[in-house]
Amino acid sequence: MTEDRDGYLKPLPTVTHEDREFWAAAREHRFVLPKCQSCGHVWFPPYASCPACLSFDRGWTEASGRGTVWGFTIMRQPYIGSFEPELPYNVVLVELEEGPMVYSNLVGIDNAAIACGLPVEAVFEDATDEITLIKFRPV
Amino acid sequence: MSDREFAGKTAIVGIGGSDFAGLYRTPDPERTGEALATEAIAAAIADAGLEKSQIDGLITGGLPHYEPVAYRSGLTDVRFVVDYPQAGRMCAMALMHAATAVHHGLADYVVLFNSVVFRTQGTKFGAQPQGLLYDTIYGMASPGAQYSMGFTRYQAEYGGTEEQLGAIPVAIRSHARMTPGAIMQQEMTIDDYLASRYIAEPLRLFDYCLVNDGAAAYVVTTAERARDLAHPPVLIAGTSGRANFREWYVDLGFWDEACRSMKADLFDPLGVTTEDIDCLQVYDNFSVSVLWGLEGFGFAPKGQGLEWVQNGRIALGGELPINTSGGMLSESYLQGWNQHAEAVRQLRGQAGERQIPDCDWSLYWCLSALPGASLLCRDGLL
Repeated sequence: MTEDRDGYLKPLPTVTHEDREFWAAAREHRFVLPKCQSCGHVWFPPYASCPACLSFDRGWTEASGRGTVWGFTIMRQPYIGSFEPELPYNVVLVELEEGPMVYSNLVGIDNAAIACGLPVEAVFEDATDEITLIKFRPV
Repeated sequence: MSDREFAGKTAIVGIGGSDFAGLYRTPDPERTGEALATEAIAAAIADAGLEKSQIDGLITGGLPHYEPVAYRSGLTDVRFVVDYPQAGRMCAMALMHAATAVHHGLADYVVLFNSVVFRTQGTKFGAQPQGLLYDTIYGMASPGAQYSMGFTRYQAEYGGTEEQLGAIPVAIRSHARMTPGAIMQQEMTIDDYLASRYIAEPLRLFDYCLVNDGAAAYVVTTAERARDLAHPPVLIAGTSGRANFREWYVDLGFWDEACRSMKADLFDPLGVTTEDIDCLQVYDNFSVSVLWGLEGFGFAPKGQGLEWVQNGRIALGGELPINTSGGMLSESYLQGWNQHAEAVRQLRGQAGERQIPDCDWSLYWCLSALPGASLLCRDGLL
Protein backbone atom coordinates (compact mmCIF):
# COMPACT_ATOMS: atom_id res chain seq x y z
CA MET A 1 0.00 0.00 0.00
CA THR A 2 2.91 2.33 0.69
CA GLU A 3 4.11 2.33 -2.93
CA ASP A 4 0.91 3.85 -4.31
CA ARG A 5 -0.56 6.27 -1.85
CA ASP A 6 -1.43 9.02 -4.36
CA GLY A 7 0.08 11.58 -2.02
CA TYR A 8 -2.07 10.40 0.91
CA LEU A 9 0.15 10.47 3.98
CA LYS A 10 -2.12 9.25 6.79
CA PRO A 11 -2.44 5.62 7.88
CA LEU A 12 -4.35 3.27 5.58
CA PRO A 13 -5.98 -0.03 6.48
CA THR A 14 -4.19 -3.30 5.93
CA VAL A 15 -6.77 -5.11 3.82
CA THR A 16 -7.15 -8.81 4.56
CA HIS A 17 -9.33 -11.69 3.40
CA GLU A 18 -11.76 -10.76 6.19
CA ASP A 19 -12.48 -7.20 5.10
CA ARG A 20 -11.62 -7.12 1.38
CA GLU A 21 -15.29 -6.99 0.41
CA PHE A 22 -15.95 -4.17 2.85
CA TRP A 23 -13.22 -2.01 1.35
CA ALA A 24 -14.16 -2.96 -2.21
CA ALA A 25 -17.71 -1.76 -1.53
CA ALA A 26 -16.47 1.45 0.09
CA ARG A 27 -14.47 2.14 -3.05
CA GLU A 28 -17.80 2.05 -4.92
CA HIS A 29 -19.20 4.41 -2.25
CA ARG A 30 -21.32 1.71 -0.70
CA PHE A 31 -21.35 0.97 3.04
CA VAL A 32 -21.78 -2.73 3.66
CA LEU A 33 -21.76 -4.66 6.91
CA PRO A 34 -21.25 -8.36 7.53
CA LYS A 35 -24.50 -10.19 8.22
CA CYS A 36 -24.87 -13.69 9.60
CA GLN A 37 -26.77 -15.98 7.25
CA SER A 38 -27.53 -18.20 10.19
CA CYS A 39 -28.85 -15.86 12.93
CA GLY A 40 -29.19 -12.52 11.16
CA HIS A 41 -26.73 -10.67 13.42
CA VAL A 42 -24.97 -7.66 11.86
CA TRP A 43 -21.48 -6.87 13.13
CA PHE A 44 -18.38 -4.75 12.71
CA PRO A 45 -15.40 -4.96 12.20
CA PRO A 46 -15.76 -7.57 9.45
CA TYR A 47 -14.55 -10.69 11.22
CA ALA A 48 -14.98 -13.81 9.11
CA SER A 49 -17.38 -15.33 11.64
CA CYS A 50 -20.45 -14.14 13.49
CA PRO A 51 -19.61 -13.09 17.09
CA ALA A 52 -23.23 -13.76 18.12
CA CYS A 53 -23.52 -17.42 17.05
CA LEU A 54 -20.05 -18.33 15.74
CA SER A 55 -21.42 -19.26 12.34
CA PHE A 56 -18.97 -18.87 9.45
CA ASP A 57 -21.79 -18.40 6.97
CA ARG A 58 -21.25 -14.71 6.39
CA GLY A 59 -23.13 -12.51 3.98
CA TRP A 60 -23.27 -8.75 3.55
CA THR A 61 -25.99 -6.19 3.97
CA GLU A 62 -26.19 -2.61 2.73
CA ALA A 63 -25.99 -0.25 5.70
CA SER A 64 -28.29 2.75 5.76
CA GLY A 65 -25.29 4.92 6.58
CA ARG A 66 -27.29 6.57 9.31
CA GLY A 67 -26.39 6.61 12.96
CA THR A 68 -25.91 8.81 15.98
CA VAL A 69 -22.82 10.10 17.73
CA TRP A 70 -22.34 8.05 20.93
CA GLY A 71 -19.26 9.93 22.09
CA PHE A 72 -16.47 12.08 20.70
CA THR A 73 -13.08 13.45 21.54
CA ILE A 74 -11.03 16.30 20.17
CA MET A 75 -7.49 15.07 19.66
CA ARG A 76 -4.88 17.61 20.74
CA GLN A 77 -1.80 15.42 21.10
CA PRO A 78 0.20 14.52 17.98
CA TYR A 79 0.22 10.75 18.49
CA ILE A 80 0.19 10.07 14.75
CA GLY A 81 2.63 12.26 12.85
CA SER A 82 0.62 12.44 9.64
CA PHE A 83 -2.38 13.81 11.57
CA GLU A 84 -0.38 16.60 13.19
CA PRO A 85 -1.27 19.28 10.59
CA GLU A 86 -4.97 18.68 11.35
CA LEU A 87 -4.77 19.13 15.11
CA PRO A 88 -7.14 19.62 16.80
CA TYR A 89 -9.34 17.12 14.98
CA ASN A 90 -12.36 15.15 16.06
CA VAL A 91 -12.84 11.41 16.39
CA VAL A 92 -16.33 10.08 16.99
CA LEU A 93 -17.80 6.77 18.02
CA VAL A 94 -20.93 6.35 15.92
CA GLU A 95 -23.72 3.96 16.81
CA LEU A 96 -25.04 2.75 13.46
CA GLU A 97 -28.74 2.28 12.88
CA GLU A 98 -27.99 -1.42 12.38
CA GLY A 99 -26.33 -1.68 15.80
CA PRO A 100 -22.55 -1.82 15.33
CA MET A 101 -20.25 0.87 16.68
CA VAL A 102 -17.66 2.48 14.39
CA TYR A 103 -14.92 5.04 14.86
CA SER A 104 -14.84 7.83 12.33
CA ASN A 105 -14.47 11.56 11.83
CA LEU A 106 -17.26 14.10 11.46
CA VAL A 107 -16.97 16.45 8.52
CA GLY A 108 -18.96 19.58 7.75
CA ILE A 109 -19.22 20.68 11.38
CA ASP A 110 -17.15 22.76 13.79
CA ASN A 111 -15.57 20.68 16.52
CA ALA A 112 -17.27 22.91 19.08
CA ALA A 113 -20.70 21.97 17.69
CA ILE A 114 -20.26 18.21 17.99
CA ALA A 115 -22.59 16.65 20.53
CA CYS A 116 -23.55 13.18 21.68
CA GLY A 117 -26.80 12.04 20.13
CA LEU A 118 -26.24 14.04 16.95
CA PRO A 119 -27.83 12.24 13.97
CA VAL A 120 -25.26 11.64 11.23
CA GLU A 121 -24.96 10.00 7.84
CA ALA A 122 -22.08 8.39 6.02
CA VAL A 123 -20.03 10.19 3.40
CA PHE A 124 -17.30 8.65 1.31
CA GLU A 125 -13.84 10.15 1.10
CA ASP A 126 -11.52 8.70 -1.51
CA ALA A 127 -8.08 8.50 0.09
CA THR A 128 -6.28 6.62 -2.69
CA ASP A 129 -7.33 4.79 -5.85
CA GLU A 130 -7.84 1.71 -3.71
CA ILE A 131 -9.10 2.98 -0.37
CA THR A 132 -12.16 5.05 0.38
CA LEU A 133 -12.77 6.06 3.98
CA ILE A 134 -16.26 6.19 5.43
CA LYS A 135 -16.78 9.40 7.38
CA PHE A 136 -19.93 11.05 8.68
CA ARG A 137 -21.67 14.41 8.50
CA PRO A 138 -24.59 15.83 10.43
CA VAL A 139 -27.97 15.01 8.87
CA MET B 1 -12.66 -16.33 44.25
CA SER B 2 -14.95 -14.66 46.70
CA ASP B 3 -16.89 -17.30 48.58
CA ARG B 4 -17.25 -17.24 52.34
CA GLU B 5 -15.02 -20.26 52.80
CA PHE B 6 -12.11 -18.73 50.88
CA ALA B 7 -12.41 -15.23 52.33
CA GLY B 8 -9.58 -14.41 54.68
CA LYS B 9 -7.78 -17.72 54.21
CA THR B 10 -4.88 -16.03 52.43
CA ALA B 11 -2.89 -12.89 53.09
CA ILE B 12 -0.38 -10.43 51.73
CA VAL B 13 2.57 -10.66 54.07
CA GLY B 14 5.30 -8.71 52.31
CA ILE B 15 5.50 -5.68 50.05
CA GLY B 16 8.44 -4.15 48.23
CA GLY B 17 8.93 -1.53 45.57
CA SER B 18 11.43 0.71 43.87
CA ASP B 19 12.14 4.39 44.51
CA PHE B 20 9.73 5.77 41.92
CA ALA B 21 10.70 9.42 42.35
CA GLY B 22 14.44 8.78 42.31
CA LEU B 23 14.20 6.78 39.13
CA TYR B 24 12.00 9.44 37.57
CA ARG B 25 14.40 12.23 38.50
CA THR B 26 17.43 10.30 37.34
CA PRO B 27 16.42 7.75 34.71
CA ASP B 28 18.77 4.82 34.54
CA PRO B 29 18.39 2.90 31.28
CA GLU B 30 20.89 0.33 32.50
CA ARG B 31 18.53 -0.75 35.27
CA THR B 32 16.47 -3.24 33.36
CA GLY B 33 12.98 -4.42 34.19
CA GLU B 34 14.54 -7.63 35.49
CA ALA B 35 16.87 -5.71 37.78
CA LEU B 36 14.02 -3.57 39.12
CA ALA B 37 11.89 -6.66 39.67
CA THR B 38 14.66 -8.33 41.63
CA GLU B 39 15.02 -5.29 43.91
CA ALA B 40 11.28 -5.33 44.59
CA ILE B 41 11.25 -9.08 45.20
CA ALA B 42 14.17 -8.86 47.62
CA ALA B 43 12.43 -6.04 49.49
CA ALA B 44 9.12 -7.91 49.68
CA ILE B 45 10.75 -11.09 51.00
CA ALA B 46 12.67 -9.09 53.61
CA ASP B 47 9.51 -7.20 54.58
CA ALA B 48 7.74 -10.50 55.18
CA GLY B 49 10.62 -11.69 57.34
CA LEU B 50 11.12 -14.73 55.14
CA GLU B 51 14.17 -16.41 53.68
CA LYS B 52 14.44 -16.55 49.93
CA SER B 53 14.59 -20.33 50.13
CA GLN B 54 11.03 -20.38 51.48
CA ILE B 55 9.60 -18.84 48.31
CA ASP B 56 8.24 -21.61 46.12
CA GLY B 57 5.92 -19.74 43.75
CA LEU B 58 6.60 -16.96 41.26
CA ILE B 59 4.12 -14.88 39.30
CA THR B 60 5.53 -12.32 36.91
CA GLY B 61 3.88 -9.24 35.49
CA GLY B 62 5.20 -6.64 33.13
CA LEU B 63 8.15 -8.62 31.86
CA PRO B 64 8.24 -10.94 28.88
CA HIS B 65 9.32 -13.98 30.88
CA TYR B 66 9.85 -15.26 34.40
CA GLU B 67 13.12 -17.02 33.73
CA PRO B 68 15.61 -14.12 33.77
CA VAL B 69 14.10 -12.91 37.05
CA ALA B 70 14.21 -16.40 38.52
CA TYR B 71 17.95 -16.60 37.76
CA ARG B 72 18.72 -13.18 39.22
CA SER B 73 16.67 -13.60 42.33
CA GLY B 74 17.77 -17.16 42.93
CA LEU B 75 14.22 -18.53 42.72
CA THR B 76 15.44 -21.30 40.46
CA ASP B 77 13.64 -24.19 42.12
CA VAL B 78 10.12 -22.85 42.59
CA ARG B 79 7.24 -25.24 42.00
CA PHE B 80 4.58 -22.84 40.76
CA VAL B 81 5.22 -20.32 37.98
CA VAL B 82 2.94 -18.08 35.92
CA ASP B 83 3.64 -15.33 33.42
CA TYR B 84 1.05 -12.60 33.15
CA PRO B 85 1.00 -10.45 30.03
CA GLN B 86 2.13 -6.85 30.24
CA ALA B 87 -1.16 -5.18 31.09
CA GLY B 88 -2.38 -3.03 33.93
CA ARG B 89 -5.61 -4.91 34.21
CA MET B 90 -3.81 -7.99 35.50
CA CYS B 91 -3.04 -6.90 39.07
CA ALA B 92 -6.19 -8.27 40.74
CA MET B 93 -5.99 -11.33 38.49
CA ALA B 94 -2.42 -12.09 39.57
CA LEU B 95 -3.40 -11.63 43.21
CA MET B 96 -6.34 -13.99 42.72
CA HIS B 97 -4.02 -16.54 41.18
CA ALA B 98 -1.47 -16.28 43.98
CA ALA B 99 -4.16 -16.60 46.67
CA THR B 100 -5.70 -19.61 44.93
CA ALA B 101 -2.30 -21.25 44.60
CA VAL B 102 -1.40 -20.98 48.28
CA HIS B 103 -4.92 -21.86 49.40
CA HIS B 104 -4.78 -25.11 47.47
CA GLY B 105 -1.18 -25.92 48.33
CA LEU B 106 0.34 -25.40 44.89
CA ALA B 107 2.88 -23.30 46.74
CA ASP B 108 3.43 -22.09 50.29
CA TYR B 109 4.81 -18.62 49.62
CA VAL B 110 4.20 -16.98 46.26
CA VAL B 111 6.05 -13.86 45.25
CA LEU B 112 4.33 -11.83 42.56
CA PHE B 113 5.50 -8.66 40.93
CA ASN B 114 5.03 -6.10 38.20
CA SER B 115 8.01 -4.37 36.64
CA VAL B 116 7.83 -1.70 33.97
CA VAL B 117 10.34 0.41 32.06
CA PHE B 118 7.85 2.51 30.15
CA ARG B 119 9.89 5.69 30.47
CA THR B 120 13.19 4.13 29.47
CA GLN B 121 11.52 2.43 26.53
CA GLY B 122 9.84 5.66 25.49
CA THR B 123 6.42 4.01 25.56
CA LYS B 124 3.84 6.42 24.16
CA PHE B 125 0.56 4.54 24.71
CA GLY B 126 -0.55 6.25 21.52
CA ALA B 127 -1.17 4.76 18.12
CA GLN B 128 -1.51 1.04 17.62
CA PRO B 129 -0.43 -0.11 14.15
CA GLN B 130 -4.08 -0.70 13.30
CA GLY B 131 -6.73 -0.76 15.99
CA LEU B 132 -9.61 -3.19 15.92
CA LEU B 133 -11.94 -0.52 14.55
CA TYR B 134 -9.38 0.80 12.04
CA ASP B 135 -8.62 3.40 14.74
CA THR B 136 -5.54 4.99 13.26
CA ILE B 137 -6.97 5.73 9.84
CA TYR B 138 -9.29 8.14 11.65
CA GLY B 139 -6.56 9.46 13.91
CA MET B 140 -7.95 7.60 16.91
CA ALA B 141 -5.00 6.93 19.17
CA SER B 142 -4.39 6.16 22.83
CA PRO B 143 -6.45 4.71 25.66
CA GLY B 144 -6.96 8.23 26.99
CA ALA B 145 -8.89 9.19 23.85
CA GLN B 146 -11.21 6.26 24.50
CA TYR B 147 -11.87 7.33 28.09
CA SER B 148 -12.31 10.89 26.81
CA MET B 149 -15.09 9.72 24.48
CA GLY B 150 -16.68 8.03 27.46
CA PHE B 151 -16.54 11.29 29.39
CA THR B 152 -18.24 13.32 26.65
CA ARG B 153 -20.98 10.72 26.69
CA TYR B 154 -21.17 10.75 30.48
CA GLN B 155 -21.52 14.54 30.47
CA ALA B 156 -24.27 14.34 27.86
CA GLU B 157 -26.19 11.86 30.00
CA TYR B 158 -25.60 13.27 33.46
CA GLY B 159 -24.02 16.71 33.15
CA GLY B 160 -21.01 17.78 35.17
CA THR B 161 -18.02 19.95 34.42
CA GLU B 162 -14.34 19.49 33.79
CA GLU B 163 -13.68 21.55 36.90
CA GLN B 164 -15.66 19.05 38.96
CA LEU B 165 -13.65 16.19 37.46
CA GLY B 166 -10.47 18.00 38.53
CA ALA B 167 -11.32 17.32 42.17
CA ILE B 168 -10.13 13.74 41.63
CA PRO B 169 -6.57 14.42 40.43
CA VAL B 170 -6.25 17.32 42.88
CA ALA B 171 -7.12 15.13 45.88
CA ILE B 172 -4.84 12.34 44.71
CA ARG B 173 -1.97 14.80 44.22
CA SER B 174 -2.37 16.03 47.77
CA HIS B 175 -1.75 12.43 48.88
CA ALA B 176 1.36 12.06 46.73
CA ARG B 177 2.81 15.10 48.48
CA MET B 178 2.66 13.14 51.74
CA THR B 179 4.29 10.05 50.21
CA PRO B 180 8.06 9.66 50.16
CA GLY B 181 8.99 8.23 46.77
CA ALA B 182 5.91 9.52 44.95
CA ILE B 183 6.86 11.09 41.64
CA MET B 184 4.66 14.19 41.61
CA GLN B 185 5.44 16.33 44.63
CA GLN B 186 4.40 19.78 43.40
CA GLU B 187 1.23 21.21 44.81
CA MET B 188 -1.67 21.16 42.34
CA THR B 189 -4.69 23.42 42.74
CA ILE B 190 -7.85 23.22 40.70
CA ASP B 191 -6.55 26.22 38.73
CA ASP B 192 -3.33 24.34 37.95
CA TYR B 193 -5.46 21.44 36.78
CA LEU B 194 -7.60 23.63 34.55
CA ALA B 195 -4.49 25.32 33.13
CA SER B 196 -2.97 22.00 32.04
CA ARG B 197 -3.15 21.24 28.33
CA TYR B 198 -5.71 19.02 26.73
CA ILE B 199 -4.45 15.68 25.43
CA ALA B 200 -7.73 14.28 24.11
CA GLU B 201 -10.29 16.95 24.98
CA PRO B 202 -12.07 17.05 27.39
CA LEU B 203 -9.31 15.13 29.23
CA ARG B 204 -6.19 17.01 30.23
CA LEU B 205 -2.63 16.09 31.05
CA PHE B 206 -3.48 15.82 34.76
CA ASP B 207 -6.35 13.42 34.06
CA TYR B 208 -3.70 11.00 32.79
CA CYS B 209 -1.54 8.68 34.82
CA LEU B 210 2.23 8.95 34.73
CA VAL B 211 4.60 7.07 32.46
CA ASN B 212 7.57 5.85 34.47
CA ASP B 213 9.85 2.98 35.37
CA GLY B 214 9.56 0.92 38.51
CA ALA B 215 8.60 -2.33 40.14
CA ALA B 216 6.45 -3.59 43.00
CA ALA B 217 6.26 -7.05 44.54
CA TYR B 218 4.18 -8.84 47.17
CA VAL B 219 4.47 -12.10 49.04
CA VAL B 220 1.25 -14.06 49.49
CA THR B 221 0.72 -17.04 51.76
CA THR B 222 -2.03 -18.59 53.85
CA ALA B 223 -3.47 -16.58 56.73
CA GLU B 224 -2.37 -19.31 59.09
CA ARG B 225 1.29 -19.02 58.11
CA ALA B 226 0.93 -15.25 57.93
CA ARG B 227 0.24 -15.00 61.64
CA ASP B 228 3.80 -16.16 62.41
CA LEU B 229 5.45 -13.53 60.24
CA ALA B 230 6.87 -10.06 60.71
CA HIS B 231 3.79 -7.87 60.28
CA PRO B 232 0.09 -8.10 61.05
CA PRO B 233 -1.37 -10.10 58.15
CA VAL B 234 -3.44 -8.27 55.57
CA LEU B 235 -6.17 -10.69 54.60
CA ILE B 236 -7.39 -11.22 51.07
CA ALA B 237 -11.14 -11.11 51.60
CA GLY B 238 -11.85 -11.68 47.93
CA THR B 239 -10.97 -10.96 44.35
CA SER B 240 -13.20 -10.75 41.33
CA GLY B 241 -13.00 -10.25 37.59
CA ARG B 242 -15.55 -9.57 34.93
CA ALA B 243 -14.46 -9.25 31.30
CA ASN B 244 -15.84 -6.45 29.21
CA PHE B 245 -14.22 -6.98 25.83
CA ARG B 246 -15.41 -4.32 23.42
CA GLU B 247 -13.49 -3.17 20.35
CA TRP B 248 -14.00 0.46 21.45
CA TYR B 249 -12.79 -0.34 24.98
CA VAL B 250 -14.92 1.99 27.13
CA ASP B 251 -18.11 0.29 28.29
CA LEU B 252 -21.25 1.99 27.03
CA GLY B 253 -22.68 1.90 30.55
CA PHE B 254 -19.44 3.16 32.15
CA TRP B 255 -18.75 -0.33 33.56
CA ASP B 256 -21.84 -0.27 35.70
CA GLU B 257 -22.68 -3.92 35.19
CA ALA B 258 -19.11 -5.08 35.72
CA CYS B 259 -18.88 -3.08 38.94
CA ARG B 260 -22.18 -4.40 40.24
CA SER B 261 -21.13 -7.95 39.47
CA MET B 262 -17.74 -7.58 41.17
CA LYS B 263 -19.32 -5.85 44.15
CA ALA B 264 -21.78 -8.70 44.56
CA ASP B 265 -18.89 -11.18 44.38
CA LEU B 266 -16.84 -9.36 46.99
CA PHE B 267 -19.38 -7.86 49.38
CA ASP B 268 -22.40 -10.14 49.48
CA PRO B 269 -20.87 -13.34 50.87
CA LEU B 270 -19.34 -11.33 53.72
CA GLY B 271 -22.20 -8.96 54.41
CA VAL B 272 -19.84 -6.06 53.73
CA THR B 273 -21.36 -2.78 52.52
CA THR B 274 -19.92 0.40 51.06
CA GLU B 275 -20.23 1.89 54.57
CA ASP B 276 -17.59 -0.54 55.82
CA ILE B 277 -14.94 0.53 53.32
CA ASP B 278 -12.35 2.82 54.89
CA CYS B 279 -10.36 3.67 51.77
CA LEU B 280 -10.24 3.03 48.08
CA GLN B 281 -6.94 2.21 46.42
CA VAL B 282 -8.10 2.04 42.82
CA TYR B 283 -6.83 2.00 39.26
CA ASP B 284 -6.59 5.66 38.25
CA ASN B 285 -5.25 5.28 34.73
CA PHE B 286 -7.52 8.24 33.99
CA SER B 287 -9.43 10.38 36.46
CA VAL B 288 -12.77 9.33 34.95
CA SER B 289 -12.08 5.70 35.83
CA VAL B 290 -12.33 6.66 39.50
CA LEU B 291 -15.61 8.49 38.88
CA TRP B 292 -17.24 5.55 37.11
CA GLY B 293 -16.13 3.05 39.72
CA LEU B 294 -17.53 5.21 42.52
CA GLU B 295 -20.92 5.10 40.84
CA GLY B 296 -20.70 1.47 39.73
CA PHE B 297 -19.85 0.21 43.21
CA GLY B 298 -22.55 2.39 44.69
CA PHE B 299 -20.42 4.79 46.71
CA ALA B 300 -21.89 7.71 44.76
CA PRO B 301 -25.41 7.89 43.35
CA LYS B 302 -25.58 7.17 39.60
CA GLY B 303 -24.87 10.32 37.64
CA GLN B 304 -23.88 12.30 40.72
CA GLY B 305 -20.30 11.18 41.15
CA LEU B 306 -18.84 14.50 40.10
CA GLU B 307 -20.75 16.34 42.81
CA TRP B 308 -19.96 13.56 45.27
CA VAL B 309 -16.16 13.93 44.99
CA GLN B 310 -16.18 17.65 45.84
CA ASN B 311 -15.23 19.38 49.08
CA GLY B 312 -12.56 17.01 50.30
CA ARG B 313 -14.69 13.90 50.58
CA ILE B 314 -12.08 11.74 48.80
CA ALA B 315 -9.00 13.35 50.36
CA LEU B 316 -7.29 12.17 53.52
CA GLY B 317 -9.37 13.39 56.43
CA GLY B 318 -12.50 13.09 54.31
CA GLU B 319 -15.23 10.48 54.35
CA LEU B 320 -13.60 8.12 51.83
CA PRO B 321 -9.94 8.77 50.98
CA ILE B 322 -8.92 7.54 47.54
CA ASN B 323 -5.42 6.53 46.48
CA THR B 324 -3.76 7.70 49.62
CA SER B 325 -0.20 7.34 48.28
CA GLY B 326 -0.91 9.28 45.09
CA GLY B 327 -2.13 6.48 42.83
CA MET B 328 -0.98 6.23 39.26
CA LEU B 329 -1.87 9.86 38.61
CA SER B 330 0.78 11.13 41.01
CA GLU B 331 2.75 8.37 42.78
CA SER B 332 3.71 5.89 40.06
CA TYR B 333 2.17 4.08 37.12
CA LEU B 334 2.73 0.60 38.46
CA GLN B 335 -0.60 -0.52 37.06
CA GLY B 336 -2.48 -1.17 40.27
CA TRP B 337 0.48 -2.67 42.08
CA ASN B 338 1.33 0.48 44.04
CA GLN B 339 -2.32 0.70 45.10
CA HIS B 340 -2.27 -2.72 46.73
CA ALA B 341 1.01 -1.88 48.45
CA GLU B 342 -0.58 1.24 49.93
CA ALA B 343 -3.63 -0.76 51.00
CA VAL B 344 -1.29 -3.08 52.88
CA ARG B 345 0.42 -0.16 54.61
CA GLN B 346 -2.92 1.34 55.61
CA LEU B 347 -4.30 -1.95 56.91
CA ARG B 348 -1.12 -2.63 58.88
CA GLY B 349 -1.25 0.85 60.36
CA GLN B 350 2.09 1.75 58.77
CA ALA B 351 1.06 4.65 56.54
CA GLY B 352 2.68 7.33 58.67
CA GLU B 353 1.13 10.77 58.36
CA ARG B 354 -1.24 9.34 55.73
CA GLN B 355 -2.62 6.76 58.15
CA ILE B 356 -6.40 6.47 58.15
CA PRO B 357 -7.58 5.91 61.73
CA ASP B 358 -8.98 2.41 62.35
CA CYS B 359 -8.50 1.34 58.75
CA ASP B 360 -10.17 -2.06 58.44
CA TRP B 361 -11.20 -2.50 54.79
CA SER B 362 -9.65 -1.38 51.51
CA LEU B 363 -11.17 -1.89 48.08
CA TYR B 364 -9.41 -1.96 44.70
CA TRP B 365 -10.88 -1.87 41.23
CA CYS B 366 -9.59 -1.55 37.70
CA LEU B 367 -12.01 -0.58 34.95
CA SER B 368 -10.59 -1.76 31.66
CA ALA B 369 -11.32 -4.39 29.04
CA LEU B 370 -10.81 -6.88 31.86
CA PRO B 371 -12.17 -5.28 35.00
CA GLY B 372 -10.83 -6.70 38.22
CA ALA B 373 -11.34 -5.93 41.89
CA SER B 374 -10.03 -7.02 45.25
CA LEU B 375 -11.03 -6.53 48.85
CA LEU B 376 -8.43 -6.57 51.63
CA CYS B 377 -8.91 -6.31 55.35
CA ARG B 378 -7.20 -6.45 58.72
CA ASP B 379 -6.84 -9.74 60.51
CA GLY B 380 -9.62 -10.63 62.90
CA LEU B 381 -12.49 -9.36 60.77
CA LEU B 382 -13.30 -12.56 58.92
